[in-house]
Amino acid sequence: MSDVYRPHILDHYANPRNQGRLDAPDIVADADDPSCGDQLRLEIALDAHGRVAQVAFEGEGCIVSMASASIFTESVKGKSLEELEALSEEDALALLDAPVSAARRRCALLPLKVLQTGLKTYREPSP
Amino acid sequence: MLDAERIRADFPILSCRTNDKPLIFLDSAASSQKPAAVLEAMDAAYRTCYANVHRGVYALSEEATRYYEEARDKVTAFINAAAREEVIFTRNATESINLVAYAWGRKALGPGDRILATEMEHHSNIVPWQLLAQETGAELRYLPITDAGELQLDALDDLLDERVKLMAFTLMSNVLGTITPAAEIVRRAHAVGATVLVDGAQGVPHLPVDVQALGCDFLAFSAHKMCGPTGIGVLYGRRALLEAMPPFLGGGDMIRRVELHRATWNDLPWKFEAGTPPIVEGIGLGAAVDYLNRLGMDAIAAHERDTARYAMERLSALPGLHIVGPPADRRGGVIAFTFRAIHPHDLAHLLDTEGIAVRAGHHCAQPLHARLGLNATTRASFYVYNTRADADRLAEGLEHVAHMLGKAV
Repeated sequence: MSDVYRPHILDHYANPRNQGRLDAPDIVADADDPSCGDQLRLEIALDAHGRVAQVAFEGEGCIVSMASASIFTESVKGKSLEELEALSEEDALALLDAPVSAARRRCALLPLKVLQTGLKTYREPSP
Repeated sequence: MLDAERIRADFPILSCRTNDKPLIFLDSAASSQKPAAVLEAMDAAYRTCYANVHRGVYALSEEATRYYEEARDKVTAFINAAAREEVIFTRNATESINLVAYAWGRKALGPGDRILATEMEHHSNIVPWQLLAQETGAELRYLPITDAGELQLDALDDLLDERVKLMAFTLMSNVLGTITPAAEIVRRAHAVGATVLVDGAQGVPHLPVDVQALGCDFLAFSAHKMCGPTGIGVLYGRRALLEAMPPFLGGGDMIRRVELHRATWNDLPWKFEAGTPPIVEGIGLGAAVDYLNRLGMDAIAAHERDTARYAMERLSALPGLHIVGPPADRRGGVIAFTFRAIHPHDLAHLLDTEGIAVRAGHHCAQPLHARLGLNATTRASFYVYNTRADADRLAEGLEHVAHMLGKAV
């Protein structure tokens, strides 16, 4: 099937990895997609070397955005801040290993968008 | 009863395929498809009698002007307006409402005045009033709806008093399908001296509408939802109100005489039509009105009621499917629903792979969805070219999606 709803996507949706909250996150961001109301909260705890030690997400949304969050959080473990900041939209879409139509890009990219918001706040904390 | 199969043959796009499946188009509440009669009228206008209107002295321009203005006469008769001067061509229903907010509202409203809308409005009948309230100091209030998705008419007495200068409400909800008791609401709003705008974007394409019987002061609707082209809409307004209102947009065609530091306005309806109008779109709207008249608005409404009733029966039989809004006898052909825990975007996407076009989201009615306690719904909307077979395909498509997602949702 040439569609995004492949077995591994459905599995990540039904059995999300890294779902929940962290005790002491260093990076936290929330976002919602105004077009569909999807919500996602991402939390990251860094280790002594500034690499991702723990990651967790909570959210409500479609199969594509939630499966993407599950897959995305699996992929960021152990990455440095610089590596996180270098992640592109194409990187995030490639992680899904399934075709994403133009209409569903926003859903698939929600985790990356939330991460970028979180990184910005972490680097430039508001006074 | 209408012969739906014959009507389907009038719409070229309905014989197209999408995703390698026959197209089942169930999104007419967003925009309807166009019959060949409309496409041909517009094509012929561009090919044989196109020129700018209202100013040419040559025959071609006179002919284009005649066809364009004939469309106005057709719309005037279609809604039973008292005179063609009361029919203003705009871009769409949204622009019609904004025209009223800008040209009527800014003069008519002030601090302490109230605007009364309802909880079931489309954003286009909310946001212009928010802007107007901010600008004038008027207060925007809302008539609540019941859990069944109908207006709480018993709350009208409390909300309607002489402070209400404008009541704005829809003839048919674009989410719930609810057909409102519009004539009664107009009568009660007029009793306290309020001016009344009816949003006919959903109602006019699907129901017989007579502005004399309705009694409203303004009626807004779009051509593209009633078999006509995009880019043209209508504002009906009572002549006395339109005469007293300042212009909306300034420019060519809406003036009588221009000097360097002042200008005087053209007569109605052109006072509100600045710049080159949507000429061919107007001709297309006229053809759409002819088409709808040929079928008959009563017959169209009856066909949609029958199709919607059948579709609601089929959908309600699916486990985990919940339809929002009132029973079939009090609604038009709009059916919004939730299905198990399947997100509307997933549902619409997966139905599309079966050739079924439905809409997912808040349908430009976020306050209504908040009232319903939902982020989003999936909406199937039926028009004159939809049949019971389309409802069967939708129900089968939903069963297929449920099966495909299996235990994941």
